[in-house]
Amino acid sequence: MSRFFRQAGDSDSESSSSEDELSMSSGDEAPAPSKPAAKPAGAMSRFLRTAGSDSSSSSSEESDEEESDMDSDEAPKTKKKPAFLRSDSEDEDESDDEEGKAGIRIMSAQEKRLAEMEATGKAMDNGLKINDWVAISNEFDKLGRMIQRQHNVSEPIPPFYVKTLISLETSLTSTLAKEKEAKKKMNATNAKALTAMKQKVRKAMKEYEQDIQKYQADPETFERDYLASVSREQPTATGAKAPSGAPAADEGEDGFQSVGKGGKTLQLTPEGIFKTLQSVQEARGKKNTDRAEQIRILERLLEIAVTSYQRIRVLLALVSSRFDYNSSVSNHMPTELWLSAQREVDQLISIVAADPSYIIQEITEDYDDLLERHPSQEKDGVVRIRGSIISFVDRLDDEFTKSLQNIDPHGTEYVERLKDEKVLYCTICRAQAFYEKTKQDDPLSRVVMRRLEHIYSKPNAVVQALESAAEASDVTPAMSLSAKGTTSDLIHSLCVYLYKAGNSLLRTRAMLSHIYHYALHNDFHTARDMLLMSHLQESIHSADVATQILYNRTVVQLGLCAFRNGLIKEAQTTLHDIFATQKVKELLAQGIQHQQRFQSLTPEQEKAERQRQLPFHMHINTELLEAAFLVSSMLVEIPLLASIDSEEAKRKAISKPFRRLLDFADRQVFTGPPESTRDHIMQASRALQDGEWEKCRDLVQSIKIWSLMPEANKVKEMLAKRIQEQGLRTYLFTYAPHYSTLSLELLSRTFGLPIRSVTSIVSKMIWTEELVASLDQSSGVIVFHRLEVSRQQQLALSIAEKVNAMAEQNEKSLDQKMGMGTSGGWNDHRADGKSGEKREGGVQERRGRGERTRGTRGGGTRGRGGRFAQGLGNQMPGQVSQRA
Amino acid sequence: MAEYELSKTIIPYLDRHLSLPLLAHLVETNIFPAEEVQVAQYELAKGTNMFDYAETLFKQIHPDEESPKEFGEKREKAFSTHEQLQQEAQAVLDVIEKPEVAQSLRQDKNQNLQYLKDNYNLTLDQITALYNFGKFQYSYGNYSGAADYLYHFRVLSTDPDLTISAHWGKLASDILTGKWDTALEELNSLREAIDSRTPAPFAPVNTSNSNTPTVDPALSQLHSRTWLVHWSLFVYFNHPQGRSLLLETFLSPTYLNTIQTSCPWILRYLAAAAIISTPTPSSSGSAPVSSRVKNAIREVVKVIQMEGYQYTDPITEFLTQLHVEFDFEAAQKELSKADAVVADDFFLGQFKDEFLESARCLVSEAYCRIHQRIDIGDLSDRLNLPREEGEKWIVNLIRETRMGQDAKIDLEKNLIQISRPPQPVYQSVIEKTRGLAIRTQVLGAAVAKASAPAPAPEAQAQAVTVS
Repeated sequence: MSRFFRQAGDSDSESSSSEDELSMSSGDEAPAPSKPAAKPAGAMSRFLRTAGSDSSSSSSEESDEEESDMDSDEAPKTKKKPAFLRSDSEDEDESDDEEGKAGIRIMSAQEKRLAEMEATGKAMDNGLKINDWVAISNEFDKLGRMIQRQHNVSEPIPPFYVKTLISLETSLTSTLAKEKEAKKKMNATNAKALTAMKQKVRKAMKEYEQDIQKYQADPETFERDYLASVSREQPTATGAKAPSGAPAADEGEDGFQSVGKGGKTLQLTPEGIFKTLQSVQEARGKKNTDRAEQIRILERLLEIAVTSYQRIRVLLALVSSRFDYNSSVSNHMPTELWLSAQREVDQLISIVAADPSYIIQEITEDYDDLLERHPSQEKDGVVRIRGSIISFVDRLDDEFTKSLQNIDPHGTEYVERLKDEKVLYCTICRAQAFYEKTKQDDPLSRVVMRRLEHIYSKPNAVVQALESAAEASDVTPAMSLSAKGTTSDLIHSLCVYLYKAGNSLLRTRAMLSHIYHYALHNDFHTARDMLLMSHLQESIHSADVATQILYNRTVVQLGLCAFRNGLIKEAQTTLHDIFATQKVKELLAQGIQHQQRFQSLTPEQEKAERQRQLPFHMHINTELLEAAFLVSSMLVEIPLLASIDSEEAKRKAISKPFRRLLDFADRQVFTGPPESTRDHIMQASRALQDGEWEKCRDLVQSIKIWSLMPEANKVKEMLAKRIQEQGLRTYLFTYAPHYSTLSLELLSRTFGLPIRSVTSIVSKMIWTEELVASLDQSSGVIVFHRLEVSRQQQLALSIAEKVNAMAEQNEKSLDQKMGMGTSGGWNDHRADGKSGEKREGGVQERRGRGERTRGTRGGGTRGRGGRFAQGLGNQMPGQVSQRA
Repeated sequence: MAEYELSKTIIPYLDRHLSLPLLAHLVETNIFPAEEVQVAQYELAKGTNMFDYAETLFKQIHPDEESPKEFGEKREKAFSTHEQLQQEAQAVLDVIEKPEVAQSLRQDKNQNLQYLKDNYNLTLDQITALYNFGKFQYSYGNYSGAADYLYHFRVLSTDPDLTISAHWGKLASDILTGKWDTALEELNSLREAIDSRTPAPFAPVNTSNSNTPTVDPALSQLHSRTWLVHWSLFVYFNHPQGRSLLLETFLSPTYLNTIQTSCPWILRYLAAAAIISTPTPSSSGSAPVSSRVKNAIREVVKVIQMEGYQYTDPITEFLTQLHVEFDFEAAQKELSKADAVVADDFFLGQFKDEFLESARCLVSEAYCRIHQRIDIGDLSDRLNLPREEGEKWIVNLIRETRMGQDAKIDLEKNLIQISRPPQPVYQSVIEKTRGLAIRTQVLGAAVAKASAPAPAPEAQAQAVTVS
């Protein structure tokens, strides 16, 4: 962000000092000179170039982009000034907060702070005189904050503060003593402030007990110590400034020099690298640091760095300052910056990988930043440098994702940006190779996870492209595509590494990615078994949001996989849970729901939500998903609907979302030709209900979104077959009451199925007692045994059922009440009963099934559906609570 | 039929000694070249202390070669070890076999040890000699001796790992000596031990792959369950009650999970056992079967369907075709294939006839339930029977089962007429409400028991009398 904007942004926090103001006013003008400065001839522009105009032009560029109108307002105003004069004064300001800052500012700030403290002290004295404890309390708080700040820059406590504390304490005790005797009490607020003060002072006294003791023992030495420690800091601070005084010999081929503070040249020599580095690092994170300028300095430093140690140090600083470039969380890093950061990380890794005597660690022993270090001087011949490559790689990856989140996915820019994934992948691989070599397990597993995240959801061809790019680079990790043969093997080996590594979060994520990969490659059974054996659905609701999103993606992909494999029922149950929430996009992190029914998001929540969004190329097409879900729901639900004849049973729907749509479609007075995917499926369902399977098939097959499905034709064929079968079932259910016999041959002709499969379907229906009929083999017909049920009989049947349900409910609640331990107990003796035996079998079986689903492997589709429901159902509150 | 031969998959889960009968069976069936099997037998025997056996095998394979010298040396060594171990073990045995000692031994193992130590100066190390000797005896084929020693050891020892190991050894010895009743007892106690003890790793005795991973207790439990499943096949297919016990065990959730996770091929035995245990006209009147066995077919079909992607063979395929696809033609084909598979299988071989009979019953039951009029010729085709015989068989079936009331044979048209009047409504209401009273009473009893926990046995007794 340019300083130009900062003024506007910061104006609300108007706490800054006069110096701040000064730099702001200079920043105010900063954008201007770029244009006029270009006009004056030769020397002038060169003179400006190095220190002033570059940074200002870069800031003006930015302001150009975003608020050009402001800029144009500014420009004419500044034009009136003579360019030379202005640039000079400005130069001073500019460099003042760039290089000279470290020196000048600390000095002045220190004095200023002391002055401020004294001012507050005076105000307190005044307060004491008039016995205004409210004022004193306020002033004391201010003083406390100042001291806190002092702490932050690790300066010693000024004796003044200690003095104030002591005097305050004495006056406090005296006031309190007076107060007790006084007849007229203080007013309430004052009294309250007094007691508050008492406590505050006591606390402060305790905190600085040692200092106070020291002071009380010998006030003069204390003050002397303080002055000494302060002055000791000054040389280091001004140290950075010192070399800038010397003339620079190697500066530029055209004989011009970069200009430092007050016209002094800024010199960058190999000897001074560490000092410059330190000054840059000290300026880091401060309010009015020009980040672009810093980066430029560091780049120059890198050019002149000679030894590996120097280069590592400069690179560490450079990469972090590149990442610092964007201060706000929502913005993404400019692509060029990102690319150079990526290159630098590569460079860093290759330096460290090439020379094992340099190690970058997050925690090292303290060392002097200003000294050159060499392996030969160290104890074990290894130079340890503070820093973290893995965090750079992480950050690089995060920034990449962030930029993809922010770029319009339908533009060419997105595609261009996506191409950078290759280099990023190479960097990750390089880092992995490096960590493999140095055997650092923790960062290695993190980097492996990053790598896995880049490839798990991609089709083989893309992975191959990425891998071949990675292999082209000089260092390759042990696990590579060429070594493993197929993508699945590669992913398998990456995942297995992560399973063995200790980190449970990474293990969970690796597992989900692995399952996702299997599902993507149509290996439904393996994927399902892995998901069930992982028992993730029981714990996923307590996982972090990113993992929950990954879980949702995995489940959805599993559903799609089942659909592609023709396992309609499985697909339906798997997808149902996520569709029942009606927040598919949100749950998959592919879109944000702006309006919620009962609550609206606060901006922060929305921001957090936005950060979680997946970049577009990772999305699972929701329309395709919906089509798959609705079609499988249709195939499950329509025959079921037809088989139910009582109104009451109809209310129990398997798939509520589908049923809702169907009801809505039914209410429509006039139906036009289908447009959306939903329309297609609704009309297809209608046709299926009427037994027109051909129409149904045509409608379903004409849905355009299938083209996004891999092997679309195969899927369509599969669907056609399923529609034939379900059409037959629906037909039988619907029209059975109207026939007493029905020829198998006719059915086979109508539904285009071979007689054998018709027989098989009908037999199945008879066997499961869905259809009250039997086959007559010799004449090839189905004979229906229809049973007319009178109203009374029907009622009797339903009451019997209800009573049964009640008894079962009672048993269940008793089970629960008596707990797991005793439940076996009270159920056991029922096994002894003879007449109860049959029922007992049922109970046992039911229980057995339940237990099996709870066991290692899990049961069939029913159990699985339930558990998915559990996982997702539990997850919803998690999702909401995290937002709330 | 080599593709359906399971020996290769099963042997890795068996002990060396247990595999020998399997290989011997393979020699008989001639599925694989006899020489190869013999080589395999020799390789197996070489690792044991059964030198004579190994030597004869060697001579069979290489009739014109001198048997290797190492046999002689090893035999010498084995004799000396035997002597030594026997002496050690005998000392312990002498003590234990004294009548007064036998009387004073109690349930508490620690107390027993203390007692033995105090009175006879018998330490734990000496007792371990029993184990060593038992193990040694087992390794040279004296199974009954091994069983004895291991039994004594188990009674006395407190070391959990060795006890389990002794369990396995005893089970193997019992299996190899053919004492199916004791083997069954042993099997059950081992099963209890495995189910109750999760934390410690189990390594069966003399394992050919002794490096069974023992990292995770759950994993090691799974391993030992897998082993148990395989070993139990010997017992279940030889014990008279074995099949229904097999169904009981394998269909219990934990073992079903084990089968599904680590050894889906056991489904063949599960399916075969389920088919064999279906009541047939000839077997009617045998012992009453439990509900789990009754519903076994249904359960098994479910599992087979679920695991179809992992394992199929003609036997499971037969059930799938019959009860999932209802494709009788395909079922018939699979049945004829399954027949051959069953005949060649080591465990199932002796049940070939029962299997066929039961399978036919299943087919005809399904057939009759679905059809109204059946051509007898057609049905006998489905049953893999010639027409004449088929007719007889069907008549028998109709006469001896409850189908008799509904089914009539029309010889003129060569048809079976099945008239199954739909169940009247009142009957289904009765069916549904039957037992409600008992259930409620049991509930009441349970509530009473819960509210007053003291007279629990009474309440139970009451519940029994009520039901």
